[in-house]
Amino acid sequence: MLHVENLTASIGGTPILKGLDLSVGSGEVHAIMGPNGSGKSTFAHALAGREGYEIGGTAVLDGHDLLAMEPEARAAAGLFLGFQYPVEIPGVNNMYFLRTALNSVRKARGEDEVSARDFLAIANEAMALVEMKQDFLHRAVNAGFSGGEKKRNEILQMAVMQPRLAVLDETDSGLDIDALRVIASGVNSLRGPDRSMIVITHYQRLLDYIEPDFVHVLVNGKIVKSGDRTLALHLEVNGYADFVDGKNEVDGHSLSGATT
Amino acid sequence: MTAGSVATSTAHPASVAVLDQIAGYERPTKRDEAWRYAPHSQLAQLSFGPPHTPAPPLPGDVEQQIPAIEGPTIVIVNGVFDSVHSKLGDLPTGLVISSLAAAATIEPERLDRHFPPMAHDAFMAANLAFGTDGAVIRVGEGVCLQTPVHIVDILVPGEDHNGSCTGVVIDLGPSSSATVIETRIGGSSADQEVAGGSNVRTTITLAASASLEHIVLQDLPRSLVHLGAVEVTQAEGSEFLGRSFNIGASFGRMAYQVELVGDGARTELSGLFFGRGEQVLDQQITVVHGAKDCVSTQSFRGVLDDQSVGVFNGGIDVRPGADGTDATQSNANLLLSNRAEINTQPRLEILADDVACKHGATVGQLDETALYYMRSRGIPAEEARRLLINAFADQTLEGVGIETIRDWVIQRLGHTDD
Ligand SMILES: Nc1ncnc2c1ncn2[C@@H]1O[C@H](COP(=O)(O)OP(=O)(O)OP(=O)(O)O)[C@@H](O)[C@H]1O
Ligand SMILES: [Mg+2]
Repeated sequence: MLHVENLTASIGGTPILKGLDLSVGSGEVHAIMGPNGSGKSTFAHALAGREGYEIGGTAVLDGHDLLAMEPEARAAAGLFLGFQYPVEIPGVNNMYFLRTALNSVRKARGEDEVSARDFLAIANEAMALVEMKQDFLHRAVNAGFSGGEKKRNEILQMAVMQPRLAVLDETDSGLDIDALRVIASGVNSLRGPDRSMIVITHYQRLLDYIEPDFVHVLVNGKIVKSGDRTLALHLEVNGYADFVDGKNEVDGHSLSGATT
Repeated sequence: MTAGSVATSTAHPASVAVLDQIAGYERPTKRDEAWRYAPHSQLAQLSFGPPHTPAPPLPGDVEQQIPAIEGPTIVIVNGVFDSVHSKLGDLPTGLVISSLAAAATIEPERLDRHFPPMAHDAFMAANLAFGTDGAVIRVGEGVCLQTPVHIVDILVPGEDHNGSCTGVVIDLGPSSSATVIETRIGGSSADQEVAGGSNVRTTITLAASASLEHIVLQDLPRSLVHLGAVEVTQAEGSEFLGRSFNIGASFGRMAYQVELVGDGARTELSGLFFGRGEQVLDQQITVVHGAKDCVSTQSFRGVLDDQSVGVFNGGIDVRPGADGTDATQSNANLLLSNRAEINTQPRLEILADDVACKHGATVGQLDETALYYMRSRGIPAEEARRLLINAFADQTLEGVGIETIRDWVIQRLGHTDD
């Protein structure tokens, strides 16, 4: 599904991603954890196509050379990024935005556009999934939404877009306990053999709800460790100390769950 | 009157007097503050003269540019009332619509306010001298019109002079209310583009507690110039809602002079100017608070692409004794290109006490982060830009109840191929 090889990204000559490799198979859920500033969001945006990076390496999604494509084409190819900081767009109606997004990717794929009526049914189903109140659809995109409401709106969009690969960047940050549960169950219900996810998080707690198949540790622009979900438990207890300061290898005895 | 004759015989006496003096009025130059950003070389190509009757036939593509608004419609072509295209049957009681030329013949004294003895610049002088025809709309005391009145001014540049002058008079009686839309468009009968311009002057008189919504849709072809002037006089407790959508013409000028002469009068001016190519879109606004407890707002938004230039010159004059004035002014602009330009300038003169006066201007660009966010959801860049531009412009459409006008403006905003 997704193959990333030797991905590099720098901003104004400063390297942020320094040769990142990652393969995600169909239906898999991968978690990426790592210290602040290690490049997790940069990785997500490099995949989604934000301007302003000097990019190297390759990223291929279902045979599409992502790095050569415009952001909208990447979305049409099935990529979805749940933003760490969802963007407020005053004056653009949430419902209209969602429908335009869905119909844009459908059009790009040569599919029929969805009528206003059919869209309402799709939207209602997605709203129920994230337990969002109807009036959010009629407000401007994220404008004046609370932090948690914005995150809910991201998952709502994901549910409408039905992507092949969803990258969720700290979707759990800023959520209260109940909201976390709602969103996690929303995400889980979107899991399936044809949909993969990359879940970026700081908290192993999320991984209790959304159980990952793999956990990766991203430090200083590289994935320095990969393992199963017990790796997250290890991080919870020990933090990233084992991985920073150039110590890319860890003594076997203290690390459970590592596969490399 | 026979074809090709000159319609001066019905003119108002002041119009005739200004015509005698017309050579004495010099065209404005860059040194005149109110004309500082105007493309003077284009203006120099404009020639004005007496209107020719009957109005020429309309080029094919012009008629379909007219927004389809339900209600009485008066069409003026090259400054001449066009009875063929006007629809003036079954007017409600209390509404009188006539051509300006007819009104000048029948009761010239009722047009004294429209025809002052002097002009303050050469273009106004041309309008007084040659704008002998046009539209007159009178609404009687206590009459509330349910359908809007539509005035369509069309310029088809002629051969011996390429400019046209139109006069519009709107009088609302006490406690009456109405909506008047002025659409200003043009076309050419020749295949190639010709220079030309329309010069439309509207004088509005609102009696006590009258309420008028007045909407100007300026969408002349970009080979032509438009000079629009709206002069409003408001009695006590009256309300004026002026909205302008200044979108077409190589040089599109919308000037408002609002005189609040009665206590407690309110005026709300808003507008959108949207420039592309090398357009210059110029808003010259003056609101004069000449009575107590009047409220005025000016709220204009500019969207400027390519090398277009926007001008917002907004004045608030608070005269001595106009205590309790509440005046605000804002001008927000969106520059879509780094070659586009906005010149915004407030002019405030406050000579009364207890005055609340606020003004502010902003200049911004499209929010790149919002564009990226939308594109990451699959919305193509062009469409995302359009959504953001519409979102910015939308505020000027707030409160516009007529769907046709909203659609017309939104459709014009999305129009990029001309
Ligand atoms: N526009 C920019 N200019 C300069 N440096 C930048 C820019 N954007 C990001 N960076 C730097 O790149 C590094 C990686 O940032 P990134 O947002 O990817 O980190 P992160 O792993 O997502 O962190 P967090 O856990 O805090 O969200 C940081 O040091 C950040 O300061
Ligand atoms: Mg981040």
